[in-house]
Amino acid sequence: MSEPRTVIVTGASRGIGLAIASTLAAEGFRVVAVARRSSEAFEAAATAAPAGSMHFMACDLGRTDALQPLVRSVRVEHGPIYGLVNNAAIGTPGLLATMPDHAVSDLVHLNTLAPMLLTKYVVRGMMASGSGRIVNVSSIIAFTGYNALSVYAATKASMIGFTRSLSREVGRLGVTVNAVAPGFIETALTEGMDESERERIAKRSALRRLADPDDVANAVAYLVSDKARNVTGTVLTVDAGSTA
Amino acid sequence: MTMRSTIVAEIEAITRDHDKTMPPLTDDMVLMDTEFDSLCFALLVARMEDHLGVDPFGTMEVADLPVTLGDLVALYDRAAVANAA
Ligand SMILES: NC(=O)c1ccc[n+]([C@@H]2O[C@H](COP(=O)([O-])OP(=O)(O)OC[C@H]3O[C@@H](n4cnc5c(N)ncnc54)[C@H](OP(=O)(O)O)[C@@H]3O)[C@@H](O)[C@H]2O)c1
Repeated sequence: MSEPRTVIVTGASRGIGLAIASTLAAEGFRVVAVARRSSEAFEAAATAAPAGSMHFMACDLGRTDALQPLVRSVRVEHGPIYGLVNNAAIGTPGLLATMPDHAVSDLVHLNTLAPMLLTKYVVRGMMASGSGRIVNVSSIIAFTGYNALSVYAATKASMIGFTRSLSREVGRLGVTVNAVAPGFIETALTEGMDESERERIAKRSALRRLADPDDVANAVAYLVSDKARNVTGTVLTVDAGSTA
Repeated sequence: MTMRSTIVAEIEAITRDHDKTMPPLTDDMVLMDTEFDSLCFALLVARMEDHLGVDPFGTMEVADLPVTLGDLVALYDRAAVANAA
């Protein structure tokens, strides 16, 4: 059997990122999960996954000087990097007019700047080896409006622009770059939202329900797989038809 | 291998893989005037990082960008020394 290919998934200690990590591990990849700290949920998932398929590396991605060393240690410990899933993000809500400047800047820093720099360091190895997969987690809020999420929305829209143009840059070298745009998914990020709002979103969606983390994980796994070899520069929406 | 021979070997490998025709690789060759385009250059930076563990372009100003092959070799020589220090 050939060696499993290594994929980095950021923000994989919980929520959508953890679902992505488990799904990719089940599909035969060697997953390196990155977050500031591991979690019981991650440890449990790693135990349930095929032996040696889920690894954890602690890193605060907001510390941009830590990104190049992070990529180096992944390569040393786990070999060449085949895939990168930029999933880690924060969702700080706030009306723009009253949002503290540091909250605006933290959102842009972690959700936009960090994935761009991390991709910069990872994509080099992919270019040199002539193959690779990059998946950026955006949001339907990148193209629909949502009160009190303008800064978050801007960071998620940035991932789409980044995806499209980067796919042009690296396509010639066999590297694909795509985005997924989840709709409302129940995770720690959205737990502040009240029950009636949740029901309203479910009722308005074409399928009358909400998508869950596994739905997003399956979309990402498709884009990382060999089956998606001719898919690049695109955005796959996973929202149970909420924006249909 | 000297820094110059490593860089020249990589440039030759990249241009071969990407069907580029290059003039003789002399120190005064101006990279921008050849078929060695920005993508080839990005590949060179990636492969040199593999060899040396350094990337002199991460923190550079545009004004300091190397113009000739000789400048490029000198840049990597300095970066390798700084990294070892
Ligand atoms: N939930 C939704 O409804 C929804 C909808 C559309 C799009 N999305 C997108 O889906 C992605 C995942 O969201 P989620 O709902 O799963 O979020 P979540 O449950 O809050 O998880 C966020 C993950 O990111 C990590 N993280 C946060 N700050 C970090 C930092 N500074 N450095 C490293 N890791 C950090 C967290 O771990 P630590 O805190 O331990 O670092 C955690 O693993 C995000 O890109 C989000 O924008 C979510």
